[in-house]
Amino acid sequence: MSRQASASGSVNEARGRRSAQDVEDSKTHFRVCRFIIEAGVKLGMRSVPMATACVLYHRFFQSASLQVYEPYLVAMSAIYLAGKVEEQHLRTRDIINVCHRYFHPESEPMELDGKFWELRDSIVQCELLVLRQLNFQVSFEHPHKYVLHYLLSVRSLLNRHAWSRTPIAETALAVLKDSYHGSVCVRHKPQHLALTSLYLALQTYGVQLPRGELEWWQVVCADITKAQIETIMSELLQLYDMEAKCT
Amino acid sequence: MNGLVVLDGCADDCTMSVCVVSEAHAVMPPLEQFMEVCFEERRELFYRDVERGDLVIGRINSVRDFGLFVTLLCTAGGLERNIEDLEIKALCPLRCVPSTGNHDDPLSYYQIGDLLRAGVKGIDRYHEKLTLSLYSSSLPPHLDKVKLGVISKEDLPLHYSRGEKVTADSSQTYEKLLESSLGLSNPLNVDYLLGKLGISDTQTPSLMRGLQSKHFKEDDFATAIRKKQSVSWALKCVKVGVGHFKSRRYVEAMNEYNKALEIDTNNVEALVARGALYATKGSLMKAIEDFELALENCPTHRNAKKYLCQTLVERGGQLEEEEKLVTAEGLYKRAILLDNTFQGAAEALAKLQLRIQKSLELKEQEAAKEQEKTKTVETSAEKLRKILKEEKRMKKKRKRSTSSSTSSDTSSTSSDDDSSTSRKKSKKRKHKRRRSSHGSKKHKRRASSCSDKMADDDIEWFPAPANTSASYIDQKQSISKLISEGEQSWEKSRCEDGRGRLDDAIDRSLENLKHGAQSETSRPGRPNVNGEVRDQHRTQSISECARNRRDSSSSTQSEYSQKSDRYSKEFSSQGRDRSESERGGNEKMDRGERNSHDKDDGRKSSGGSLKKDIPSNLLDIFSQIAEFEKEKKLQK
Repeated sequence: MSRQASASGSVNEARGRRSAQDVEDSKTHFRVCRFIIEAGVKLGMRSVPMATACVLYHRFFQSASLQVYEPYLVAMSAIYLAGKVEEQHLRTRDIINVCHRYFHPESEPMELDGKFWELRDSIVQCELLVLRQLNFQVSFEHPHKYVLHYLLSVRSLLNRHAWSRTPIAETALAVLKDSYHGSVCVRHKPQHLALTSLYLALQTYGVQLPRGELEWWQVVCADITKAQIETIMSELLQLYDMEAKCT
Repeated sequence: MNGLVVLDGCADDCTMSVCVVSEAHAVMPPLEQFMEVCFEERRELFYRDVERGDLVIGRINSVRDFGLFVTLLCTAGGLERNIEDLEIKALCPLRCVPSTGNHDDPLSYYQIGDLLRAGVKGIDRYHEKLTLSLYSSSLPPHLDKVKLGVISKEDLPLHYSRGEKVTADSSQTYEKLLESSLGLSNPLNVDYLLGKLGISDTQTPSLMRGLQSKHFKEDDFATAIRKKQSVSWALKCVKVGVGHFKSRRYVEAMNEYNKALEIDTNNVEALVARGALYATKGSLMKAIEDFELALENCPTHRNAKKYLCQTLVERGGQLEEEEKLVTAEGLYKRAILLDNTFQGAAEALAKLQLRIQKSLELKEQEAAKEQEKTKTVETSAEKLRKILKEEKRMKKKRKRSTSSSTSSDTSSTSSDDDSSTSRKKSKKRKHKRRRSSHGSKKHKRRASSCSDKMADDDIEWFPAPANTSASYIDQKQSISKLISEGEQSWEKSRCEDGRGRLDDAIDRSLENLKHGAQSETSRPGRPNVNGEVRDQHRTQSISECARNRRDSSSSTQSEYSQKSDRYSKEFSSQGRDRSESERGGNEKMDRGERNSHDKDDGRKSSGGSLKKDIPSNLLDIFSQIAEFEKEKKLQK
């Protein structure tokens, strides 16, 4: 655990200093997060546990080095731990099955042999490692509940037919889910993230909202500025660019 | 999860007023209010967006004779807007006000200042006019449980009351309100709200190209892989178990099979192997259960079918020994259904069916015996009348020579009276008759192969009117005897078939007799017809049955019984008198045929009356009867 040696890539990112290594690292993180999300879908994970798994992963590597720890193993442990934290318990057997098939497509399910038990052991060990690395602070506030409440409030402003015509809710949630590919999810307040994803969704469909003394987003989040929203938006959109580079 | 708990902390007097339930999510006042959208815009938006079927709450500001005028306070369903200060007025016309039921003016129920909840019935967007209704029919189906009419302050919607608080206290921002509300802390609010918005939580959308749902294969999902894995693990256990089974280590084998079934319940191979083990050990029912379960999951499993057939047959064998024949039959049939090439099942089924038949016959005889013993004699005037009517009818159609027939009938009656021990009065007679009738029935059944033909005969044989009817009328004793017997038989005649067949047998035999042919039936009684009475018992039985037939309810049956009766009389007379030979029988039969000629299709050709040899002691009686009959005829 060499915290000093590797200044976390995300910190560098925020400061705008990106070395080649950082870029490479962020690609790796992107891929691993994609792995987490895919595995989450195949395991039937709900949005919040999946978000927790990604956050655990990002937070872990904020202070740990990719050179030292195998990211995919950390990811699998993060999934396992997130299931426990968010009360959607997943069995290691299922996690191993899904991940094994991810790496060996179309293969037969693993036999219940020594290799299987070794894998299981390593997941459990790594879980403990993650807990310790994060000082056992594994409960996070996620933007999901905020974005949902904001959606309800914004819905009341709109004509019901306009609302049913435009998939604002789905887009906002999709943007939120995709935000977990990168470390943006750990560098901002959940309310801000929620706001930004909703803002992005409304802008995408060109929805006109009534004007009052305050903008809706000013009402919803008193402490955010337009500039901040824009920053977060650009970070979110960069993730979509990265998909092309990484996959 | 849908109710509302509001922990109101009233800062002024530090009391907490707790209202009702729990909040699934934070209910917020309309955003318009926070945004401070201007008056005009709000008004415009309201009239643009309000729809028929929305709920509104307002205060009654005047009661006219054509309706109520209401100033809207807030929306209550369908829209969430801040409209109190807009002072929108709406009209609830008289026809939309339900009567209170006591024939008063319905409007008298309402007063100025009442809070009213109503549904929007009509909108004139251009003129900005609203019409309200207090009938539930104006509401959409999902809202029609809402109570319309006067409400109290407690019923005001939460977003309105919270909104009021916000106006009162300007420091309450949206954020603060949200954070402080209980619904935000609900761990399940995300699930609830996703459901409310109609989005599934396990298939949330994504804008990433690689995460689109079409890229996900069904086989890659955890449940699918797990299933495959379980199956293969279970199979391994089953293989080990089969190894144990072959080396006769049954306990270990059972353990392995159970382990396999724990890993993968309803694993077909494990079930079949376990079933085979049960069958070998003798627990056939458990084996059958396992095989059936296996076949449910995989209907084409060859071994399962094969083993199940074998086990069913074996089980059937067991049941047969326990005398549970019907169940056994069911099992054999099932086995055949499953695999109709399985020889053992077909053979076993055939054997069993024979056995069932035999046992049924035995049972019936016993049952009939029982019933006869317990039957009491009933005399029914109606039945008698009916029978007499029948007889009269037949008499009218008859053309015959009376003398010999009547005499013979009389003789037969008298012979009945005079004849052997079996002809004693009441119980003993009935008893013996019953027994003999059983015997005849037994014979009947064995001759089942002929029954079809007999049935055919039945149709064409119309019963001869009983010559004896006159004599019966004459002889009350015999009538009552007959009737009583008939009653018994009628009441116990559940085996009409048997009797039918009996009659058919009689007919057939007589027909054969007439043609001089040997009877086809295996009835030992047949030779009697041909003149050799060996078994008076049997003839008595015939007569008994015939008589019973005679008095049975249906007319055909009575006809048959009459005919049979007549024949039986002839039989009995033959039996009575050995010298009454074939010719006598023929004569009687011919007579009978003549008597029934109009009903016959002319199968009975001969009509000549033959001289018969009857003992002299009967001649007198015959002549008497003949005379009487003549008298009767003359009377008619």
